Amino acid sequence: MIDVLEIENLCSGYGELNVLKGVNISVGENEIVALIGPNGAGKSTVIKSVFNMADISEGNIKFRGEAINSLKTHEIIKLGISYLNQGKINFSNLSVRENLMIGADQIFASDVAEQGLRQIYDKFPDLLTKENELAYTLSGGQQQMLALGRSLMQRPELLLMDEPSLGLSPKLQQELFETIASLKNDGISLLIVEQNAKKAIEIADRTYLLEDGKVVLEGGKEILDNDAIKNVYLGGRY
Amino acid sequence: MSLLAQSIINGLITGSIYALVAAGYSLIYSTNNFMHFAHGISVVAAGYMVYWLFTVTGTPFYLTCILTIFFSAFFGLAMYRLIYLPLQKRGASNVILLIASIGILIFFQNVIQIIFGSGVKLVGYIEVVSGVTFAGITMTPLQIVILVVSFIIFILLYQFMQKTKLGRNMRAVSNNRELASIVGINHIRVSDYSFLIGSALAGVAGILVALEQNLSPFMGTNLMIKGFTGAVIGGINNVPGSIVGSFVLGMAENLGILVLPSGYKDAIAFSLLFLFLLFKPTGILGKKEGRFDK
Repeated sequence: MIDVLEIENLCSGYGELNVLKGVNISVGENEIVALIGPNGAGKSTVIKSVFNMADISEGNIKFRGEAINSLKTHEIIKLGISYLNQGKINFSNLSVRENLMIGADQIFASDVAEQGLRQIYDKFPDLLTKENELAYTLSGGQQQMLALGRSLMQRPELLLMDEPSLGLSPKLQQELFETIASLKNDGISLLIVEQNAKKAIEIADRTYLLEDGKVVLEGGKEILDNDAIKNVYLGGRY
Repeated sequence: MSLLAQSIINGLITGSIYALVAAGYSLIYSTNNFMHFAHGISVVAAGYMVYWLFTVTGTPFYLTCILTIFFSAFFGLAMYRLIYLPLQKRGASNVILLIASIGILIFFQNVIQIIFGSGVKLVGYIEVVSGVTFAGITMTPLQIVILVVSFIIFILLYQFMQKTKLGRNMRAVSNNRELASIVGINHIRVSDYSFLIGSALAGVAGILVALEQNLSPFMGTNLMIKGFTGAVIGGINNVPGSIVGSFVLGMAENLGILVLPSGYKDAIAFSLLFLFLLFKPTGILGKKEGRFDK
């Protein structure tokens, strides 16, 4: 069976800076794959390479068997790949409703996009009460819901998430991970880059450990017992 | 009292021309993030287009206006497509683009001088007549036209930015260009439209300037500086802000000369520019980025 996402021997970086040095990663149908590793290992660069936001010098990125290296950033979403980025995750000067619609109405007709709105409001009722408020007025947790909501509005087959739990309280992190795990039931495949390695491994079907631009370990939930991994969540250097 | 009221009205009229320049400038700046100082030449080129079409060739005035606005819009788009975009694709920084924009401004000022000469040109469509006096305030018909036209355009522009998909996409690109690409917006397409619409606004400003003032090839620099100052006062990244800021500037200039000699008009503008850059660089309506906005 063809993988949803297949990254083969990827070497990429930014200008002169080589970050990834021959990375192989795959995401299967309806699978949650976690990507963990220390800061600077190149986790985010993997996702950025998929979205053509890094300079690829070698290797292939395939979505359902088709190479997508040459597509521009704004064209990727139309394939059914959505990207929940890190940092500025919403349009702060747009209302909550506009933030949700802006993802979907690039792909679908406005009335089709609006139908998705109701499902998102059912999933995240907080967003409905703030529908007409500007995004910058939302709390950190609500911001993350909004960004996730926007990605889901695009009805992706594959969702790439870059450190979604960053800056959230432990309680909100717990809720977020439960939500992420539930996305699998909606038929979405996920590649999730996470700093909370333990949580990531627990919800993932498979995990890759990335160090210095290379995959150094790959496995299922059993890698929680691996010594290298133990350091990750026992307050080690990761 | 009537002198004060008259100065306020004069401030509104001056401000509305500045605001037309500033609105286009700020629309282009906010979606592209670089200083398009050549915006001033779009205004002047439009003014000379009016002179050439209407006064020289005798084209009907309404047709002159339509052609001028189209000319200006595509003139702006051509600057983006033929100069800025190729530079951006070669990795030019915003400083390089700023220098290029000043180069374009100077180049076309000289082109206009070669074609039309350095002497001033007069369009004179609406004859200078004695103004209408109401409650001690005198306004010429032309000044009333300027006020009405610019207010209609500001309302339309606001509606466009708030209610249409393209307007929303422009606000999104201006807020976060990278995220806009991620969600599927082609930011080059949005830049195309921002240059088209922003330069069309410059075309309207050019028509009004041509009707109200004598045209000279180098007037664009001053107009651009005033538009830029208005935009900084109001919040350069914010189109409604730049309009408000331009009215504040027009008002300050006209109220200022109640107490200062009229030669200090430009000094008032520059003093305001410095004060805002020093103490409120985000402008009146500009806002700092929120806590979760980094």
